[in-house]
Amino acid sequence: MSAVSEPLAITRPLHSSRRHKSARKTSRRIYSPYQDQQPGQSDEEDKEDERVDSNDPEEMFQNIQIQKEIIANIRTRPWPMRHKLKALKQAREIVLKYEGRLTRTRGYQAAGADLLKKLSRLLYNIVVLFIPWEMRIKKIESHFGSGVASYFIFLRWLFGINIVLTIMTGAFIVLPELLAGAPFGTTRSKTIPKEHLDSAQDLDTIWSLGGYLQYSVLFYGYYGRVRKIGSAGYRLPLAYFLVGMAVFAYSFIILLRKMAKNSRLSLASASNENYTFCWRVFCAWDYLIGNPEAAESKGAAIVNNIREAIVEEQEKKKDTSLAVLVSLRILANILVLLSLAGSIYIIYFVVDRSQKLEQEKPELTLWEKNEVSVVVSLITMIAPSAFELVAQLEMYHPRTSLRFQLARVLVLYLGNLYSLIIALLDKVNSMSSAVPGAVGNWSDSSSFQATIALPEEDSLATVAPEIPESPSSTVGVALQLNKSAPPVVLNQTALYEYNMRSQQDQCWETYVGQEMLKLSIIDMIFTVASILLIDFIRGLFVRYLSDCWCWDLESKFPEYGEFKIAENVLHLIYNQGMIWMGAFFSPCLPAFNVLKLIGLMYLRSWAVLTCNVPHQQVFRASRSNNFYLAMLLFMLFLCMLPTIFAIVRYRPSQHCGPFSGQEKIYDIISETIASDFPLWFSKVMSYATSPVVVLPALLLLFMLIYYLQAIARSLKFTNNQLRMQLQTERTEDKKKVFQLAAARLQGSESDKKVEQESDITSQESSIRSSSPRRNGSIANFESPARRGNSICTITQSASRLNVGRPGGAARSPSISDPQKHRIEQIPTRHPGYLGGTTGCRSKSYHHVAYNPCGRYTENVHSDPLFRKSVWPGHPDSLGLATAQSFCGRRSHTTRYVIVNEHEAHRKLLRSSARIPRHYRPGDLGDVVELYPRSVKKFAPRGPHRAHQPHLSEEEEEEEEEGAQSSRRGSLGHSCRPRSLLDICQPAPTSAHFYIGDKVDSQLSIAQDEPYEMLGDEGRKVDWEDTASHSLSQTNIPGVPSRHCEPQVKQKTKHKVAPSLTESDSASVASSSDPQNSSTDQYIQVIHSKEKYLKPSTKLTKKKSKASIDFNMSGSNELVCSNV
Amino acid sequence: MGNKQTIFTAQQLDAYQENPFRQRIAEVFSEDGEGNMTLDDFLDMFSALSEMAPKDLKAYYAFKIYDFNNDDYICKADLEKTLNKLTRNELSADESRMVCEKVIDEADLDNDGRLSLEDFQHMIVRAPDFLSTFHIRI
Repeated sequence: MSAVSEPLAITRPLHSSRRHKSARKTSRRIYSPYQDQQPGQSDEEDKEDERVDSNDPEEMFQNIQIQKEIIANIRTRPWPMRHKLKALKQAREIVLKYEGRLTRTRGYQAAGADLLKKLSRLLYNIVVLFIPWEMRIKKIESHFGSGVASYFIFLRWLFGINIVLTIMTGAFIVLPELLAGAPFGTTRSKTIPKEHLDSAQDLDTIWSLGGYLQYSVLFYGYYGRVRKIGSAGYRLPLAYFLVGMAVFAYSFIILLRKMAKNSRLSLASASNENYTFCWRVFCAWDYLIGNPEAAESKGAAIVNNIREAIVEEQEKKKDTSLAVLVSLRILANILVLLSLAGSIYIIYFVVDRSQKLEQEKPELTLWEKNEVSVVVSLITMIAPSAFELVAQLEMYHPRTSLRFQLARVLVLYLGNLYSLIIALLDKVNSMSSAVPGAVGNWSDSSSFQATIALPEEDSLATVAPEIPESPSSTVGVALQLNKSAPPVVLNQTALYEYNMRSQQDQCWETYVGQEMLKLSIIDMIFTVASILLIDFIRGLFVRYLSDCWCWDLESKFPEYGEFKIAENVLHLIYNQGMIWMGAFFSPCLPAFNVLKLIGLMYLRSWAVLTCNVPHQQVFRASRSNNFYLAMLLFMLFLCMLPTIFAIVRYRPSQHCGPFSGQEKIYDIISETIASDFPLWFSKVMSYATSPVVVLPALLLLFMLIYYLQAIARSLKFTNNQLRMQLQTERTEDKKKVFQLAAARLQGSESDKKVEQESDITSQESSIRSSSPRRNGSIANFESPARRGNSICTITQSASRLNVGRPGGAARSPSISDPQKHRIEQIPTRHPGYLGGTTGCRSKSYHHVAYNPCGRYTENVHSDPLFRKSVWPGHPDSLGLATAQSFCGRRSHTTRYVIVNEHEAHRKLLRSSARIPRHYRPGDLGDVVELYPRSVKKFAPRGPHRAHQPHLSEEEEEEEEEGAQSSRRGSLGHSCRPRSLLDICQPAPTSAHFYIGDKVDSQLSIAQDEPYEMLGDEGRKVDWEDTASHSLSQTNIPGVPSRHCEPQVKQKTKHKVAPSLTESDSASVASSSDPQNSSTDQYIQVIHSKEKYLKPSTKLTKKKSKASIDFNMSGSNELVCSNV
Repeated sequence: MGNKQTIFTAQQLDAYQENPFRQRIAEVFSEDGEGNMTLDDFLDMFSALSEMAPKDLKAYYAFKIYDFNNDDYICKADLEKTLNKLTRNELSADESRMVCEKVIDEADLDNDGRLSLEDFQHMIVRAPDFLSTFHIRI
């Protein structure tokens, strides 16, 4: 729009009046990013008329582009709807009109694009319909806020992953096996042993995943070992292995991709900027919340949050309870560790016991069969609550305690899974070693059977080759025996059958798969039970019994169940971990998990909507947060390890599963390559897998990783630096702006001081004002374009301070602060002055000495403000201009200032009052109005104003006249804002009239020689009241300003009042106010003084020294009066 | 738009949401500043508070909502009002005063003791969950 806004700028003012009719509309103007466009818009409305006639295709095309842009961006503009509609309609009309004129095809194109847009929107709407649970999640979101919804979104995402996993396993393993594999009952691994046939359909058998379920596609053991199945020759074992790996690979890839995307999304907010309180206040409320209960708990959460921040801020360290606290925390950690160790031990113990039971008893009860998974689920249910109790003991900060809690729960879950899987694998080992013993016992009964049993024993022993007991466990023998076994099986005794059973039980993969599936099922049952019992029943109980209970159930003890987002997410992650861990051994586990997640989704959402309230300790994990995903990734990695370990370490079962008969599971790859691929391929592979290739490849990989990491690090570094640069730039900018403002205020303050305190202080202030000003001016100088801005901001700040002033309370605290600053400033300034003279020092000391006076008297108003304004400017001045060049450069710098200001003012003067709006229409609003007035009225009076402050500056020992002139200029500046400060309410106007003054002064100074003449004029004007003023001036500082009024007023009033009335209605009003009028008088007084002193300072150093003396005396008087 | 315009009153909005700022929202978006909304105002409100609205627009209207006295600055009084609405007056005077001071301290870039729109935008667009929380649904 830049091209557009420029030509429009000229016409803009014409419409400005009409644009801002209602207050609301005007307030919208402050929306700066769109400011330029808004006026632009209204202009375009008018401009279209102008352009109707223009037939220049180029222009037309541009116009159309503009209009199109408006159409595209209209949504992003903060206009009222009516305005939007009007603009849109007009823009559309224009586009339609001219586009047709331009080219016909373009019009068709536009129409086509329109249609396409509509279609895509429709399509999008349809797609949204198919996103599962979208409406449900939105509903939850609108009731409970985005925090709770994030849980469901995460759940849905997991659901998506599981769907893909299910498709993978289903399409490549389960379906081929079902369609082309050997049917049920044909091979030994696919038949249920006879003795179990009776109980195979019993509920408890099915329940513990035995019987028919055990010999089904659910588990590893069912899959055939035939290399190729079906007519197409599908290599099932290979597929099984590859899919098993692909599950992990896919999970990793999708997780990492999601994380990368999220981190990209949250990049903007990842900055380390500190807005804790702001965000806690302004972003606290979740506008989606519509449920009263959710709102209540959200309110409580906000209060907690803010309190927390306050506590953090205060950092109250309770030393008294520190020892207790530490011991408590140690105790708590010990408790947690104990419970973790206990849970691990219990799991191990239970697995061990179940194994023993299985050996001792032929028939197990339902409890004994499900003991392991029930215990594990119980632990996962109970331990988190126990941890929560323990965490209360610790008295941590709520947020840290939440983190601790999460970490502990995660460790617990992992510990559970790990101890379970380790115990299972251990059981596999020990079981295989125990069975031979049993076989031996049996074989004693009859020699014939013993001979048959012996081979079995061997084969069993081979399952766990590392066990030394097995007598002759060589692989070759085992294989041979296995091969010979099937014919024998057909006609064997019950005893043999028993051996067979135990042999088939040796299918440890199936066993692990069974346990994992069982665990998953039990976990689901427990989840459902906990939701129903803990949430639903409790909710019912609380709601309906609270009326007839002795305490308030809803707010005291049982309350409603809270929806703990973090814990629930962790539970989901744990659940997914189980799936990953067991997926290789039970290909249908992902499918089961899909069902489970669907159930969980409905149940949870129902529970949340009916009987839960959101957790008070809000866990911040919005959609863009990687926290969940990081935990999930961690879990995935840790769950992959046991599976990989089992694949690499253990030998596959000999009689079941696709890998039976192989030494290792992964042998399938090399075998396939060797047998099914052409010879050259296997050769290539053998080369590729030889260390010669692998090692360099690994090395390359490491190098790549290192390189990428280095790049990332350097990018991060540059990123940080850029950010820092941005920050400093911004602060510098702000500082500059502020300095300018400060300079103005300061000037005014200094003037006031002249009246109130003493000449010395005023001088100081003027000096200071000159220095910041210089910086500001430099800034202006460098970038003329910015000038307008800076000016606006100055005025803004000025007015702002005025607004702040009326509040007396606000003022007083600042006193102590500024003083500090002052003291700091003095030393810093010294280096600069040391070169010049010692007089400066004394001056500064004086200044310090006088501060108290200022404070005690009623000057309080002016003092704090003055100081305030001074200090922010000061650091910058130091930074920008070196301290040494302070004295020497001042003259130049000030002159620059003047020139700049002058230019700005000239601009203002020349152009109509509205022109400034080009720079910043919204912000300038008041400023703009002020300028013209001041310009008009005070221009004539300017010169002497500029001179007034000289009095104070005489003390400076700078010899050059240029310096003096510069000082004068600075004083002029300082004078300007003074009135601003004094007149509390009509401040802006006052500010302006000073600006007007300044213009003149600048003018005078800009022409170096002529200025004296101007100055003379000013003097002439002032001559009248020299003597009297000098007297009054001394009085003023000591005595509060109001006391002085009467004295001065008589003389000055006749003079001042008329001028003011001329100048400004606002100022007139202020002059009627006694205090304000008094300030005006002071101004006059200053003039006189200045006049008085000026002659002396102007020409020679000596004179200036004399003036110093005078000042000193004045100050002394001052002190006396104050005391 | 010569249509008949129905008026959506603040009371209706009241019944709709549990938002502590609902009254304020209605005021900001209504043309009369009293909370009575015409259809256009209503559309305005939902376009600004929709999920599709850009960050800057949202920040602008958020600023308007928190600027209770309509002076285009968020001053301490505004902040205190915001806090009281948020916390339902549960914070003590000391606490709320301190929070207000901290907020201004953090976000006030030009040291004028109150937050201008620029300050506010600068602060709010960096908030991680501003976009996800500052929208409403019917």
